[in-house]
Amino acid sequence: MADTRLPEPFADLEPLAAVWALATETERNQQRLSSTMAQIQAFYDTLLPRMEAVLTYLSTFPPEPPAALPQEARRLLYLALAMAEITTAVELHQQPSVPAGFDPQRFIPDHERTKR
Amino acid sequence: MFSSEVRLFGIREEPYIIGIYLPTGAYLSTQRLPKIIQPQSAPYGAASIVFPTEIEQDSVIFKDNTATRDTMQDRVHTHANGKRWTLDHPELGTGTLPITPYLSAEYFEQERQKIFTRTWISTGKKVEEIPQPGDYLVLDIAVGKTSVLLVRGKDGRVRGFHNVCKHRGNRLAWKDRGACGTGLMCRFHGWTYAADGRLIGVPEEDMFFDFDKRDYGLSPVATDVWEGFIFINLDPDPPETLHQYLGEVVDLLRGYAFDRLPLSWSYTAEQKCNWRILRDSQLEFYHGKALHQQFAGKVMINKQQPSCHVLDAKLFRRHSMMSFYGDRRNTQRTPMELLMAQFGASFKTFPGMRDMDRWPLGVNPTRSRQWFFDIYYIFPNFHLVILSPFLFVAHTMLPETVNRSTWNARGYFPQPTTAAESVTREYNKCLARDVWLEDGSTLENTQRGIESGVLSQYPVQDQELLIRHAHKVAEELLANDGQAG
Ligand code: FES
Ligand SMILES: [Fe+2]
Repeated sequence: MADTRLPEPFADLEPLAAVWALATETERNQQRLSSTMAQIQAFYDTLLPRMEAVLTYLSTFPPEPPAALPQEARRLLYLALAMAEITTAVELHQQPSVPAGFDPQRFIPDHERTKR
Repeated sequence: MFSSEVRLFGIREEPYIIGIYLPTGAYLSTQRLPKIIQPQSAPYGAASIVFPTEIEQDSVIFKDNTATRDTMQDRVHTHANGKRWTLDHPELGTGTLPITPYLSAEYFEQERQKIFTRTWISTGKKVEEIPQPGDYLVLDIAVGKTSVLLVRGKDGRVRGFHNVCKHRGNRLAWKDRGACGTGLMCRFHGWTYAADGRLIGVPEEDMFFDFDKRDYGLSPVATDVWEGFIFINLDPDPPETLHQYLGEVVDLLRGYAFDRLPLSWSYTAEQKCNWRILRDSQLEFYHGKALHQQFAGKVMINKQQPSCHVLDAKLFRRHSMMSFYGDRRNTQRTPMELLMAQFGASFKTFPGMRDMDRWPLGVNPTRSRQWFFDIYYIFPNFHLVILSPFLFVAHTMLPETVNRSTWNARGYFPQPTTAAESVTREYNKCLARDVWLEDGSTLENTQRGIESGVLSQYPVQDQELLIRHAHKVAEELLANDGQAG
């Protein structure tokens, strides 16, 4: 991923992408759980004002599997998927993890094993 | 007696009505209806029905001709709120339930022998997961002490077999999924089976004695499909077909988008708890306001009747359903929520009520505008949670031992058509997953709690009626040696 960049209109989001543009739900969830709430909030606050533009841009590309997307758009998709991942932390729980929730490491996402 | 032109809400082959609205604005639910009804074909399912005098006045809920459809819904709901659904089923009583079934190894062994190996159980899998002839899945069904091979034959049919080689009993397929092409070969001595279970290849066959390959086909497991969901029955000779077993549920959910919503996410978790703890955790929504406070708390607020949240409850011979009140407009319109709604859909705020009149009879059966979701419990191990025309959830729960169970939770959601919709799908998935992590938090803690011996019984609230009913169903099966009571 490191050798690709975000699409040009979103180049300013590169520092976020360096941390959050991760290919799988498991990686994005782990990033969420290993971040502080301040880091998550900063990600959310920075990306939110651009999110409509991001989604508008992504609307012109085919859906997952990400292989169907050009590399730059794919990196932007991963960043947007990370935003979806952390939204519950910000808008629902006000903390990185589900309060007193079941261990996500034991809640195995089968959909990552059998890639669609 | 009085006669009235009503809009039918649903009929089966024999005149049988699931629920109706009277033109006066009254809604009549399930059991309170007269059995003798003569539907006549008329536009939009209208029919003339005659009510016998036995119908109590109070079952005709509203007589006000001026009720509009919307106010009617509110009133129906207010009516439902005064109700205690449990009292419609005096045979279930209102007493406490025993803890023993959750703890006792002997009780579990009885359930194993008389329920899980005698009745239709959900595999949780759908036929789409075995798309091509020769494709197979392997399921370890610990409760039946067997491994089951589900394989699609050349004729397109999905069949089930014990995954056991008939030579000396070796495990036949070792992977959990695959494609067997011309045949599936046992690794031990190389016997080969066709996708329809026939033994087709035996190395050095002439060295056996009095041997006929036809005597050694794979042992079948009764397998059948409903709305794409694959069920098995470990009873070699099931007394009823899957569709007979499902009964009313087939009619109630016919027409739902099961065939159009693809499997979009699936989580599996091993839980160190009895299967009933897991089962009960998805069988009531009394826990919604507490455990799922952030997600559901505001949705469930009902000013008129703060403690009542059930719109409808139907108990069948084995299965059951409950329909829940909720006003998703009460959820906070958070920024991402709004964006997701703009670029796709979010089940958190948008139930998707358009065309409600054309929904299956059993989805939001009271046609309430304040509808949250329906739970269908297919005894013993399958829950369908219908949250919207564009999202349903399926839980498959299988015991392994008295205190170990497997939970598979799945979301079925529209296939994205753009990368932006991939993001909205991810959002819905993460929301569902986080709610399930809340559910999951209770399971092993409850197991430890009841293992402490502090409880010998527990009280059951009206909104936990389905747990009460499920317990009765199990008790009957155990008492009748697994036979229908
Ligand atoms: S046990 Fe399978 S071929 Fe011998
Ligand atoms: Fe729950």
